[in-house]
Amino acid sequence: MFDGLLMLGGGLAHFFTPVSLFNIAWATLLGIVIGALPGLTATMGVALLVTLTYKMAPDQAILCLMCLYCGAIYGGSRTAILLSIPGTPASAATTLDGHPLALQGKAGTAMGLATTSSTLGTIVGIIALALIAPLLAEAALKFGTYEFFWLALFGVIISGQLTAIDDPLKGYIAGILGLLVAMVGMETLHAHQRFTFGISSLGGGVDLIPAMVGAFGFAEILGVMKRTAQARIISSGDRVIPRFSEVFQYKWTTIRSGLIGTFVGIVPGVGEDVGAWASYAAAKRVSKEKHMFGKGSQEGLIAAETGNSAVIPGAMIPTLTLALPGSAAAAVLIAAMFIHGIRPGPLLMTENPEFLYQIVAILLFSTIAMLIFGLTLTRPLLTVLQVPRERLMAVVYVLCVVGSFAITQRMFDVYVMVAFGIIGFILREMKYPMAPLVLGIILGDLLDLNLRRGLLLTNGDPSPFFTRPISAVICIIIILTILMSIPAVSKRVRSIFTRDRGDASAQG
Amino acid sequence: MAFNMSAPTHSLIFRYFRMTTDTPPPSETAPEPGMIKADLLAGLFFILLGLAIFYGAWTMDRLEVRRIHPMTVPGLVPGMLAMALTLCGTILSFRSLRTPASGGWQQLSGAVLSSAAARAATVMLLALIYTLGLVGTLPFWAATGLFVFTFIMVFECWLSEPRKPWRKSLLWASGLAVVTATVVTLVFERAFLVRLP
Repeated sequence: MFDGLLMLGGGLAHFFTPVSLFNIAWATLLGIVIGALPGLTATMGVALLVTLTYKMAPDQAILCLMCLYCGAIYGGSRTAILLSIPGTPASAATTLDGHPLALQGKAGTAMGLATTSSTLGTIVGIIALALIAPLLAEAALKFGTYEFFWLALFGVIISGQLTAIDDPLKGYIAGILGLLVAMVGMETLHAHQRFTFGISSLGGGVDLIPAMVGAFGFAEILGVMKRTAQARIISSGDRVIPRFSEVFQYKWTTIRSGLIGTFVGIVPGVGEDVGAWASYAAAKRVSKEKHMFGKGSQEGLIAAETGNSAVIPGAMIPTLTLALPGSAAAAVLIAAMFIHGIRPGPLLMTENPEFLYQIVAILLFSTIAMLIFGLTLTRPLLTVLQVPRERLMAVVYVLCVVGSFAITQRMFDVYVMVAFGIIGFILREMKYPMAPLVLGIILGDLLDLNLRRGLLLTNGDPSPFFTRPISAVICIIIILTILMSIPAVSKRVRSIFTRDRGDASAQG
Repeated sequence: MAFNMSAPTHSLIFRYFRMTTDTPPPSETAPEPGMIKADLLAGLFFILLGLAIFYGAWTMDRLEVRRIHPMTVPGLVPGMLAMALTLCGTILSFRSLRTPASGGWQQLSGAVLSSAAARAATVMLLALIYTLGLVGTLPFWAATGLFVFTFIMVFECWLSEPRKPWRKSLLWASGLAVVTATVVTLVFERAFLVRLP
């Protein structure tokens, strides 16, 4: 316990230097601007910034990326409130109550509450990260080849299920496509080249960063430019800094939403948008003022913003302890960590225990920066929202090209970016989620290697995959998840539960 | 976070997390007929892709010369994934065939030929000309300047509604083209020591 506190103090002291504070300030501010600009998302921002932080020291690079990530998720709320367009998909739930508040002349109140809720949400998540991550890392040391195979499969399936709830089949297809992309190139067990078709550049496989820049950058540009309608900014001059009573009044909503957000963050590949929707739905269910939801409820706004911000620290829990990305942006962070020689995973707490607490410190610092910028820079951020997308997107595409080229300095990565952009755009138009695809790319190698290594260890006998206790549990969860996504099965299960409840109430 | 959250997804997430009956269930949005037909095409494509990958995995070198265990052949996982993709494609196609979607083909062709699709296609075209044609042929700064200038002019003076006055756009387009080309080239070549294409 004291070791943890000491290391947290060490983490805070580590970044309490002028250079670090400067980096925190600009990265968080850049994040807020990126989040606020419709069409620029957190994942895209983080993916593009990896290039710019390539030459930095590892700790400073991760510091900048994390600050940008937090800032962008918060920044999206500004656009949601003032323009009724979510700046990033994470703030889609914020539009429901944020924009009606702005229409009622309470834009300042809405922006202020969004800022304090994001701060409090991140803090709830940070506490969970500091408490859960060391325990999970210790438990993960017991995981072997068999467990990691199931974990990789679980990650892709649960991400497919939850990011495309209206059609899990499309989520699964996206996940399988991602896993298949990971099959290209040299496999790690026997060093055999797969599906390279004689193209030497494919030997190393498809790099995650260009693929992400394509799927989240170029695809997003195509999506934004497709639309013709321009939104009108609704703003008002009321006070931005909320009263203590306004924040304190909804303390239970804040804590509940923070916990839901953190839990959603822990689930691999399920990100801020689901965190926001889940906490919004939960708040609506227990609220005393249900009828106000969707018409400018402060509680709804607080739930959505707390929920999406709490996902970030939550997502770092599996990212750091299992190397399973908790969200799409966390997938880019894993790639960035590998570039900088940091190996996330169960061994992190043994090899580099202070790193976890440095992440906690980074999140704390960026939250403070977010609070300061959010409450003070109202006017300048309003100007940012007025940038025409025609001008912005041209520059963003240039950054996508340079960003994917710069890391390995080969044109092949730029072609990968373009291909993923176009394929990603078509898939998005057909309502396929991108998160399972990305998760598939990052987990494909883990899945392939651990399955075949497990079979090699047992001389071809697959039984340990089903008989080891942890493996069996994860396997059962996977089977249940898939079964529940089949409409006929889920309908039948639901009807059993409703009947039981009906019987109980009849008896009572 | 950049996960796509469509309106029906939102309504269904509500349903998913709804534990009591006091929240009125939001009306479930039925998929559009055009989307159902698009699913059929996508399903058939995934079946073909799955079968092609399965063939590739089946005929992949099994490294018998190196006497590896037959259960650890490199084609094992790609083959399994290909089967899963084929299965998902089949379910998608069957589901699409069984769902009534009158006027689906017209709606789908309408969406493909809409002005929105034309705008997206224009972006793709400009991006492809820039990436595959200009970069590498022209110096990077010139290619970038030309791309930014054309992009802004096309979307502000030709494809926007209402169209913007071309003189103002010309000024903005040239200004941004020069600034982007100079800043990006200088920052990456001087500060990050990247040899731009």
